[in-house]
Amino acid sequence: MSQNEALGTALGLDVGTSRIVAARRSAAEYSYDAQLNAFVGIPYSKLTLDALLRENVPCTVEAHQIIIHGNESEKFAGLLNAEIRRPMNRGVLDPKEPDSLKMIREILSRMLGTALPGPQKPQAPKKKICFTVPAPPLGAADALTYHEATLRQTLEELGFEPSSINEGLAVVYGELEDSNYTGIGISCGGGLCNVCLAYLSVPVLSFSIPKAGDYIDLNAAQVTGERANLVRLAKEDAFHFNGFFENKLQQVIGVYYDDMIRSLVVALKEAFARTSSLPKFMRPIPLVLSGGTALPAGFRDRFEKLLWEQEFPIAVSEIRLAKDPLYSTAKGALTFALSEA
Amino acid sequence: MASSPREPMFTSWLDLHADKIDDPVKRLRFLRRGMQVLESEVLVPGAPKADSAPRRHRLIGSWKWPSVVGAAIAAILGAAWPAGVAETAVRERRMAIPAGTVAFEAPKDPIRVWRVDRSETLETYSNGLRVELTFAESYRPRQPYPVFPLNGGAQPARYQPNPAGIVYHTTESHLAEFEEADNGRLKALARNLLEVVRDEHAYHYVIDRFGRVYRVVEETDIANHAGHSVWADPSGIYVNLNSSFLAVSFEGQTGEPSAITAPQIQAARMLTEMLRSKYSIAAENCVTHAQVSISGVNNRIGAHTDWASQFPFAAVGLPDNYAQPLPSLMAFGFEYDPAFVEATGGRWKGLDLAEAQVAQQAAAQGMTVTRYRAILQHRYTDILGVVAEFEGGS
Repeated sequence: MSQNEALGTALGLDVGTSRIVAARRSAAEYSYDAQLNAFVGIPYSKLTLDALLRENVPCTVEAHQIIIHGNESEKFAGLLNAEIRRPMNRGVLDPKEPDSLKMIREILSRMLGTALPGPQKPQAPKKKICFTVPAPPLGAADALTYHEATLRQTLEELGFEPSSINEGLAVVYGELEDSNYTGIGISCGGGLCNVCLAYLSVPVLSFSIPKAGDYIDLNAAQVTGERANLVRLAKEDAFHFNGFFENKLQQVIGVYYDDMIRSLVVALKEAFARTSSLPKFMRPIPLVLSGGTALPAGFRDRFEKLLWEQEFPIAVSEIRLAKDPLYSTAKGALTFALSEA
Repeated sequence: MASSPREPMFTSWLDLHADKIDDPVKRLRFLRRGMQVLESEVLVPGAPKADSAPRRHRLIGSWKWPSVVGAAIAAILGAAWPAGVAETAVRERRMAIPAGTVAFEAPKDPIRVWRVDRSETLETYSNGLRVELTFAESYRPRQPYPVFPLNGGAQPARYQPNPAGIVYHTTESHLAEFEEADNGRLKALARNLLEVVRDEHAYHYVIDRFGRVYRVVEETDIANHAGHSVWADPSGIYVNLNSSFLAVSFEGQTGEPSAITAPQIQAARMLTEMLRSKYSIAAENCVTHAQVSISGVNNRIGAHTDWASQFPFAAVGLPDNYAQPLPSLMAFGFEYDPAFVEATGGRWKGLDLAEAQVAQQAAAQGMTVTRYRAILQHRYTDILGVVAEFEGGS
């Protein structure tokens, strides 16, 4: 198989609590498709359904509801003053959400299409897809089997040949090529912050902490009485770390952001300190931050300041934000899938 | 002293080679497979054939470091994955390092070349190569030869049956002016040279000044071309390359690079393509005699200096292998003298890289460069004993 053919036969998929991102590569160009991993139900009427279909809004009909999923769900939730629902919580399929499996399958099939072989090419090789899975929370048992197996089965049913990769490791593969995939990759997502230390591409240590974007949204919503979805929009649109907050919502978001970053830094220090046999690095290693929760201006500086306040056991050469924080995990998953092709 | 496959001394090779790969996918593939090889080498130490019990006893008696490292490796592997997240590490290890293939890929793949025709006196190949067989002779058949791990003790990591690389030589024979008027003398010198080479089983191939390629020793046999020599690739270290590398010699002399003719270079390119295709030889394993040659008496490199400079790597279809750090320095602590530097016509980049690596590795081990070199040289001595046993028995 030629290099170009191989490029076209693999996909990277970042399955996050908040967003799903698919990465593709053609020649040296990467392209991404991102959808909110969310849905909202609105009352059924024939008129509404026709209007939605006419406007190409992704939706399905369930009982007496029209279910709108993906990016459009946010808009309709705003219009109806309703909370969006999510198939996943804290990085894995939400056991409390009865429609989680159905919805995630719907979103994935619309994003990826089907890769099932048609009558023209019944023997065509399956397209490889690498999807991300979270690491277990620090100090907790690995309870990811159901999540991982279910996603794998869903992707197989769509005709793909799936493999999985830890989210933090995907950040390393997406961002740390220059250091030969040695360094620390951190994905600050919606449900979890995932961390991976890799040495020459091999994961040495990985874990997650359950404080991430949703933690900030839910707690800030509780304090301010706003909807969590609105907090999220305020956080993503206008929040920045500069010590000056225009309103109470921004100030509260700042408090919980700070708490999240502190928890992450403490977890990093503890995890590295209690790992008895870290590799001996020849030189200081880079640390890269990615994910939607790392997007606000000043996040990197705040993280760096808090990290240096700790006695971090590994020499770090630089702390930087990923080139495309929303896409680096999917890019890393794609790089992994291509390396397997 | 503790050691693990993830320490810099084990992985510096991979790091350096990966730097040369531009494509991120290929780089990742290279590193993952390389790390798999390194870790599997330590997990499953290679064939014990050449390391009989008496031999092992002698090693322990004479110098304890390799055996201490060997014992330490087992202990460290048990603790190689962090406590508390072991399940994650195990799962990721399964994900990140595919089972199955451990073959190393050369960053630059050889083109496919096949034999088109063969008669009693001539072979022709699909890339235009013609190999004269009139001087071809059998010698001693190549036995699977030992390849040693990049670090650790003196036990071979594996035994390999096929050639791993090519060493380019010059014949150091008398030369005539490359002029039409000297045609008769040129032909006579080439013929005399081939007879000498055949008698000494000195090279597998000789390329005369007209670019004619002669097989002198069969590829399935060893040739006496690089007795004291060292080279390495990410899969292991090759010591005394008579068995492990094929020899291609240009009719020419050290210090007379202008005497090498364009037809010779063209022929070398086609011959290299054919051999690389036939044996899947990595481009990085196509090197000159000066790069691999060591002295058996003073722990210095460069006992031979043919092609110490100006080997036309690019014209032969190879990367600039002078830029590769020398394994003899990095793995076995060899040194060099000013005469060698002079022969190179200025310093190779590979010399500087190797020196820097040795310094870094010594620092990482918390010891002086001198002490670190001494340890590496001890290892070479022990490995040489294993090689001597192999050569005596093969």
